[in-house]
Amino acid sequence: MKRRTVIAGLGCVALSGIGRARAQSEPPKPRQIVVNASGGAMATALRKAYFDSFEKEYGIRIVDTSPTDFGKLRAMVESGNVEWTVTELGGQDAIRVARMGLVEKIDPKIVDRSGFPEQARSETVYTSSLYSTVLAYRTDVFKPGSHPKSWAEFWDVKKFPGARSLRNHPVDNLEFALLADGVPLDKIYPIDMDRAFKKLDEIKPHVTVWWTTGAQPAQLLVDKEVVLATGWNGRFYDVIKKGAPIAIEWNGGSIKEGTFAIPKGAKDAYWGQKLLAWMSDPKRQAVYATELGYPGPHLETTKYVDPKVAPQMPNYPENLKKQFWNNKQWWDENGEKAAERWNQWLLKK
Amino acid sequence: MTEAVATLPLAAGDRVRRRHARSVLGALALSTPALVLLLVFFALPLLRLFWLSVDAGTFLPYEKALTERLYLTVFWETFKIAAAVTVLTLLLGYPVAYFLATTTRLWQFVGFAFVMLPFWTSILVRTYAWMVLLGRNGVVNRTLLDLGLITEPLPLLHNFTGVLIGMVHVLLPYMIFPIYNAMRKVDADLVRAAEGLGAPGYAVFRRIYLPLTMEGVLAGTTLVFILSLGFFITPALLGGGRVAMIAVIIEQQVREFLNWGFAGALSVVLLASTLVVYGLVHRLLRPRFAEGVR
Repeated sequence: MKRRTVIAGLGCVALSGIGRARAQSEPPKPRQIVVNASGGAMATALRKAYFDSFEKEYGIRIVDTSPTDFGKLRAMVESGNVEWTVTELGGQDAIRVARMGLVEKIDPKIVDRSGFPEQARSETVYTSSLYSTVLAYRTDVFKPGSHPKSWAEFWDVKKFPGARSLRNHPVDNLEFALLADGVPLDKIYPIDMDRAFKKLDEIKPHVTVWWTTGAQPAQLLVDKEVVLATGWNGRFYDVIKKGAPIAIEWNGGSIKEGTFAIPKGAKDAYWGQKLLAWMSDPKRQAVYATELGYPGPHLETTKYVDPKVAPQMPNYPENLKKQFWNNKQWWDENGEKAAERWNQWLLKK
Repeated sequence: MTEAVATLPLAAGDRVRRRHARSVLGALALSTPALVLLLVFFALPLLRLFWLSVDAGTFLPYEKALTERLYLTVFWETFKIAAAVTVLTLLLGYPVAYFLATTTRLWQFVGFAFVMLPFWTSILVRTYAWMVLLGRNGVVNRTLLDLGLITEPLPLLHNFTGVLIGMVHVLLPYMIFPIYNAMRKVDADLVRAAEGLGAPGYAVFRRIYLPLTMEGVLAGTTLVFILSLGFFITPALLGGGRVAMIAVIIEQQVREFLNWGFAGALSVVLLASTLVVYGLVHRLLRPRFAEGVR
């Protein structure tokens, strides 16, 4: 009897000791972690805003790879051979990674997101930035002020003649078509596909390029291949910064979140969480925003951004009012059906 | 031959036979690494792909791939583009191969440099280069406009023409090399003999030169056709979204919708139809021209 108590007591001591040890000491530092993202200008910005300082602080090298690839993520998790510590997710993937159980939860004890807006505090993905699909135009063809100021005007080829470019994908385009057809911003979802495609029929002959990569629309405008295009605000921000005669119209823009996540079974997941925590700092997010035009979600980020640059951000209060939040849930449920219909529609002569 | 073997002492015949068997074994042993490589990195993934497409226990993905108009149209477009690219590369590549096979050392060096340099350049770089050249305000259109040859820029990019130009450029070396190889083997005396017997140039080409180089043509067209079927980045960027290739659809199914079963079915259908076309072409062309040689 006595002996058993002693053993139990010892056990308790041992257990609590382990518990305490775990709470105090961090998992061993790896030599390096792998962060997978879109690459290009974004890789440079991530490095400048977050990675360099993280490496200096913790002495862990960050290897960056690209591009984001959902198929690869799924294959990695399913095969148990996860190379990425942290990965960026594609536009529509944030919802299904959670549904399919492909990612670890974001640890609220490590990553403090109290300064983020409610929508940007998902349990499973980390919102790293906001971006918007917007209308952009050549300022030497349409003087700012007398440029197309809405999707209805983008559709108006008589008043605003010239070649246009839209993305070769239904996302955003269906929304823009509905807005052009007079649907108010808050009545877009659920999308009436018949109505949207009917409206798209009108613009189809005037779209000379259906773009596939993010770099295309900005380049098409720079080359004057088209005079009006949709595209991600950061891509336009980049060429505008370099002096291209291009401007953005924010009205009717489609806001989305850029997200990162930790693949399920990732090695050194703890240090992945630490990196996300590092990235949640508003000052560092401001560096990133100035570099790319994609602000972080922290509500204080805009405070640290150059006031001259702030109007180029999708979450600049003036801009925010005119745009809508792209509904990920709708696209998660209807994306495949919409894409099939889109492909069919595009092939139709 | 049989007589010669019969007169040899028995042991010697055995030795010949054994040496022959050894050389077969040796060849097999030497090719084993490549065969294993192909098995592990080609045959097994292919099987796995097939497995994915029937994994759900139904043939529904196949039904969808073979009955829905969207996919049939895309398959048809893909084969049409591949055929057009093959014909164009053949028409352009055959004369180049002839030039390379018959010219002086120096010109051969220059010619090969022109063929090889783009071959060694990244396909993405070349595709973007074409965008610079062929755009509405690109080098080609601006030059033609400045020369007053056209009044409106020609639609060279973001359409079927753009895709053809880009793909032909990428695939030309695959046509030129096999044909060049076949041409190097042609005995010049045969051509001279035909000419000496009074055959006109056209007849010499049709009855002597073309049949003798047909092996190269077959190899080249097969290579180009099959490579064209899987083309992805060039049509995506130069086609402006208007040229649908099956690889683009397969990629979309894999990456965007994680619909691996359906992607697998589309791939298997593509593979099967490729093999059918390959078989037909060889059945039709090989015996006819092989006869012509004799």
